[in-house]
Amino acid sequence: MKTKRYITATSALVAGAALVLSGCSGGGGGEGGGGSTGGGEQTDSGGKITVWVDPPRVPAAEAFQEAHPEIEIDVVQIDGTVGGKTVKQAFANFDSAGSGWPDAIFFPSNDDIAWATNSTSNYAADLTDLLPEVIEGYDPAVLSFCDIDGRIRCLRNDAAPDVFWYNKAFFDENGYQLPTTWEEYGELAVQIAQEHPGKISGFLGDAYAVNRYLQGSGCPTNERVSESEARIDLSDPACVRATELLTQMYDAGALSTQGIFDGDAAGTGVNLVMSPGAVWWGNYLFRDTWKIPAGQMTAVAPLAWEGESEPTTGNEGGGLWGVSSHIKGKQLENALTFATFVATDPAWQVELSTGLPGYGPVQDAWLDNMAAEAYFADIPTTQEAFKAAASAVSPYSYMLYDTGSVWTETVSPALIGGSSVEEAITAFGEELVNQAKSVGYTVTE
Amino acid sequence: MTTTLVKEEKRTAPPPRAARRRAPHRVEARGALILLSPYILLFLVAAAIPIGYAFWISLQKAPTLVNPQSGFGGLDSFVTVISDYRFVDTFINIFTVMIVWLPLMIIGIVGLALLVHASPGRFGGAMRFIYYVPGALAGIANFVLWVYLLNPSQSPIAFLWQGAGLDNLKEVVTTENLPSILTAMLFFQGVGTWIVIVNGGLNGISDEIFEAAALDGANAWHMAWRVKLPLIRPWIGYAALMNLAYGFQLFLEPYLLRQISAGSVDAEWAPTQLGYAFAFTNRNFPAAAAMSIILLVITLAIGIVIVFRSGLFGEKEERR
Repeated sequence: MKTKRYITATSALVAGAALVLSGCSGGGGGEGGGGSTGGGEQTDSGGKITVWVDPPRVPAAEAFQEAHPEIEIDVVQIDGTVGGKTVKQAFANFDSAGSGWPDAIFFPSNDDIAWATNSTSNYAADLTDLLPEVIEGYDPAVLSFCDIDGRIRCLRNDAAPDVFWYNKAFFDENGYQLPTTWEEYGELAVQIAQEHPGKISGFLGDAYAVNRYLQGSGCPTNERVSESEARIDLSDPACVRATELLTQMYDAGALSTQGIFDGDAAGTGVNLVMSPGAVWWGNYLFRDTWKIPAGQMTAVAPLAWEGESEPTTGNEGGGLWGVSSHIKGKQLENALTFATFVATDPAWQVELSTGLPGYGPVQDAWLDNMAAEAYFADIPTTQEAFKAAASAVSPYSYMLYDTGSVWTETVSPALIGGSSVEEAITAFGEELVNQAKSVGYTVTE
Repeated sequence: MTTTLVKEEKRTAPPPRAARRRAPHRVEARGALILLSPYILLFLVAAAIPIGYAFWISLQKAPTLVNPQSGFGGLDSFVTVISDYRFVDTFINIFTVMIVWLPLMIIGIVGLALLVHASPGRFGGAMRFIYYVPGALAGIANFVLWVYLLNPSQSPIAFLWQGAGLDNLKEVVTTENLPSILTAMLFFQGVGTWIVIVNGGLNGISDEIFEAAALDGANAWHMAWRVKLPLIRPWIGYAALMNLAYGFQLFLEPYLLRQISAGSVDAEWAPTQLGYAFAFTNRNFPAAAAMSIILLVITLAIGIVIVFRSGLFGEKEERR
């Protein structure tokens, strides 16, 4: 009996609390629902700014502090996990509360630009008229990911188009001919896997594999029709040819189900003989993470699909800087100074950043540095490939659904579980549509 | 004489609510209220108000991409949650863990606690300590330990993984293996603490009962099965209840296992993770609140069943 009374009392309390609360928040209907902040007021701190950066971008903020000691700045290090949710979580709360946003941010995932420019958040300021000279310095192909409905909402930290990487030492030693089309790449991968078991020609298990192969083929996984409409069609011929290519290579044992970021991928990584991959693979993966000796890896221009005259390639990351739309006056001015510095200043972009600068005017200085380090086997070709690749990138929009996460949780588990590539990619497509609908998109095929 | 008195008191101590069955005097009621007030305050702040708030939010209409307007939405968010394509799967996932883990946990706790209690002296004490050791590695420390144990290239039990043909972390940490991995993690993390608690319950039983049973010819087995087990039923119920509640709220473990497996485990594996995704991926706070309410109702219902079945609050004892 005691227990029952206890429970009755509890429910009475709960009901009471609910009543009190409903009284409190009556009238403010949008409060808990994460109401729109589009028309919110802009504030001015008088100059002090707060910036959020992921761990690899901390040196950028430090370089800024050194160059601009007159600007009072609070640097917050955030969780940099690609596809992580902690930053999203913080912003959902800030948007509900109507305060708390950082003044500038390095988005940990490029997908973040989707919610940051969505009408429910509208965090990222429209930089089109605020930083016209900076925007002018970018190749429009590099800045296309920041172009949302014709307005530039972010700045690119580094350009990350896929080039075609190969191990020159291995190719020279065995007399292999470098492929120029995706189809030749597939055939050569099969041949190498047969002649040199254990040598691989690609990775399938990381979030960027979807960009490497599906975007690289022009497959519509991320096509933004409008703010509320997405086109996903895995039956498109572009997706079919990519699936066939991967099937051919995977069945011959030429592809690893691991991902490039897996903690234990280095052992497999040293056996990579060729693969499409982002320009940052060179320094970040081959040199620093997998410790492949100098003079082996080198890059050439992206591959073309048979019957097409122009090469087609994907893009893997290449981080985005955003500025808050909730500030004005001196605070906004300082935040823009910060964004301009981290996007364009050689002190960060040339001297410290491991990725090819997105901002055009500093690219050559960075490429000169690369030549001086003399890590790649064929430096002039690599430099040329880096510069030319951006224009070959297939159109791709960052969406509210996280395409990379859907890939990692469907494709590699399916392959590890014994499914075929085709089954794995079908599962990926189904889950992608589910996710897109779940976040509120109307999906067209 | 004095020892008997002390033991008398001890015996009446475990079911604490029995004393309150007497008709409360006015003074007693006031005293009880004063004693309860700190708890009531905490209960309001940490339970009642958030629950009420969650319920209120769950009745709101979420702004969507198409219609950013919010307002009163009735039970729409509950429909959104229940009709979500992952809803049923997340519950199947969590029940799969529960079915494997809870019985193992309860049998493990009770069995080991009875063994420890049956081996008095230094040996029993040492074993109790050894069982407790993995429990001291709670939370993140336990998790980091498991990351090493699960990794075929670093683990001291790597031969097990390699024997099963699993060569890297991604092949070990899969959605299919998650129930077994979580069972192992939760078992070793929790069992030690619960042995100590149940052992405390066993220590509370008067020696006279054991003496009487021994005189009646009970051996160690009879003692454990016929005497100790029925007497510690409320503790078993308590252990089941707390572990069940913990299991239903699993979040950190699958969340972090996803990170170390480089994203090959589903992001919305557990119901709590689905709620998290509603809030922060979909920006649908009402749906997230509705998910919490659904979880609360389920845990409360199961909790109530356990409370009544095990006589956790002393009901059974009195009826006898």
